[in-house]
Amino acid sequence: MPVPRAIAEPVAALINEFSKLPTIGPKTAARLVFYLLNRPRHEAQALAEAILAVKDKVHLCTTCYSLTEHDPCDLCSDERRDASMICVVAEAKDIYAIERTGAYKGRYHVLGGLISPMDGIGPAQLRVKELVERVGADAPAEIILATNPNAEGEATALYVGRLLQPLGMAVTRLAYGLPIGGDIDYADEVTLARALEGRRVL
Amino acid sequence: MRLPHIELTNFRNYRELELEPAAGLNVFLGANAQGKSNLLEAIAMLGTGKSFRTSRESEVIREGASRAVVTGEAHSRMGIVRLGCMVESGPRSAHKRYLVNGKDVRYARFLGRAAVVTFVPADLQMIGGAPSLRRAFLNAALSQEQPPYYHELVRYQRALTQKNAMLRSETADRELLEVYEQTLIEAGTALWLARDEAVQALALHAEQAHRRWSAGTEHLELRYHPNVPAQAPTHDAVVEAFTTHLRAHRDAERVRRTALVGPHRDDLRFLLGGTSLAAYGSQGQQRTAVLALKVAEYHVMRKRTGEAPILLLDDVLSELDAARAAAFLEGIGDVDQGFVTATELDSRFPAARKFEIDAGRLRVQA
Ligand SMILES: [Zn+2]
Repeated sequence: MPVPRAIAEPVAALINEFSKLPTIGPKTAARLVFYLLNRPRHEAQALAEAILAVKDKVHLCTTCYSLTEHDPCDLCSDERRDASMICVVAEAKDIYAIERTGAYKGRYHVLGGLISPMDGIGPAQLRVKELVERVGADAPAEIILATNPNAEGEATALYVGRLLQPLGMAVTRLAYGLPIGGDIDYADEVTLARALEGRRVL
Repeated sequence: MRLPHIELTNFRNYRELELEPAAGLNVFLGANAQGKSNLLEAIAMLGTGKSFRTSRESEVIREGASRAVVTGEAHSRMGIVRLGCMVESGPRSAHKRYLVNGKDVRYARFLGRAAVVTFVPADLQMIGGAPSLRRAFLNAALSQEQPPYYHELVRYQRALTQKNAMLRSETADRELLEVYEQTLIEAGTALWLARDEAVQALALHAEQAHRRWSAGTEHLELRYHPNVPAQAPTHDAVVEAFTTHLRAHRDAERVRRTALVGPHRDDLRFLLGGTSLAAYGSQGQQRTAVLALKVAEYHVMRKRTGEAPILLLDDVLSELDAARAAAFLEGIGDVDQGFVTATELDSRFPAARKFEIDAGRLRVQA
C-alpha cells in the first residue's frame, strides 16, 4: 500500500520498513513509527544498534546451527553438557523453550524448519545432511526428535528417524500427553488417545 | 437434541434476529429470496461449523459488517451447551471462530456438539453426480458422529497434499515419499474401516425404508466401493492391501504425477434389484434412493449419539412429488426438532410452529 505523499519522507521510509516485518500491517507500522518519534533519541539509537548487532554479531553455530556470538556456541562448548544426547529441533527458538524446563542437559541440533514439499521445503533445504554427518562422527547414544506434534513435525521426525535408525543409536520422540492442570474429561479424544498410547508403568 | 434459542447477528440479510423454535417441526414460510434458506444455513452452522451453500464463507457476512455470528443453546441428554460460530472477514479469506460455553475452541472440539442432518435439493443429484459428492456425504456424516474420523481425515488430506506436491516436483526422495505413504496408510486404513462400517449401517436402514415405500417390490443396496479392495474388513488386511496397491501403482503415479491409490478415490454405490442406479436408474428411482439414504443417515446418527439429530430440510419437499415427500416424513418418524423451508404451507407438514419471513423479518404465525 503506497504511503500518502503528505508524510515526511523519512517517516514514510520507516513505515515502509516496518510493514515488511511479519504480522505487521501498514497501520501497526505507522503506530510504531509515531511512537518512536515521541521517544528520546537514545532509545531510538539503542533499538537501531540492537538490530544491527543481531545482524553483525550473531552467526550460526557450525556444530548445532543454533544462533551464537561465537563459534562453537555456549551449548556446544559447555563440557558439563552430555554429548551422548542430541535433541533435534526445528528452530533455534525451540532450544530456549526446552532450556527453560531445566530438564535436559544434552546437546542440540537445529534443522532450520520442517519438511513441507507443498511449500517447496525438502530435506535439502534443511540441515538434515549435517545432522546425519554429525551423528556419524560423534556416535551419540540417543537422538531425541523434538519437532511439533503437527503434520509437518510428524513427517520431519519420521523422515529423520528413518535416516538415523541404521546408524544404531536410540532414536526417541517426545511423548504426547495431557496438559498439566487440565481435566481428563475436558481433553479432546485424540489427545486422550495419544496419551493412553504413551502411558508409562508407575 | 433441541435448539430452543438461536440468535443471528449480521448473518446474510439478518442484522439482529432472535428465534425461539418449538420442539417438533418448525416451518419457515415465505416467497423466494426473503431469507428462509439463510436461516437454515445459520442453524446448520451450529452443528457442522460450515455453510452448506458456499465454500466462500465470507459471503455470509451481512453487507457492510465485519463479522457474522450465530449462537444457540443446545439442549441434549448431556445437558445444556452454548454454541457459537463466527465468520470474520480477513484480508484474503474469512476467519472462523468456534465457541463452546463462551470459550474459543478448535473446530474439532466444536464439531458435532449439536448433531444435524441437512437435506438440500442438490443432494438429489448425489447418485448421478461425481464420486466426490458421495465421498463428501460420507465425510460430513462421519466427521459429525466420530471426532477421531475427522482427525484421520485431516491427517490423510495433509499427507496427500504433500505427496502430490512431491510427485509434481519430481523430487525423487524415495525415503520421504514413504514417510507420507506411511501416514496415508495409517490414516487411510482408519477411514476405510469407518466408511465400511458406516455404509453397512446406512445400507440396512436405507433398505428398510425403501422396502416399505416400494411395498417390497424393489431391493435397494448400498455398497462401499473402496479404491483399495481388502480381503477382509480388518485393520491388518486393509494395511496389507493398501501397501500392495501403492507398490503396484508406483510407476503410474510417477507418470501421472498424482496419487492414484487410496480412500480419496473411494465411492459409494447404489444398486436397485442388483443393477447400478447411477447407470440405469431413472431420475425418480435415483431420488427415492437419496431419500432412503437421508432417512438412514438420520436413524444411524440417532443410534450412534443416542438421541435424535436436528433435521434441516431446505426447499427439498417442494422438489418432491406428494407421495415421495410423505414417504420421506413417514420414514423419519417423530422428530425431536426440525426446520423446514417452504413457499406455502403444506398440510403434509405437522408444523409445531410457523414463522412467516418477509424481507429478513420474522413473524410467528398463530
Ligand atoms: Zn552449537
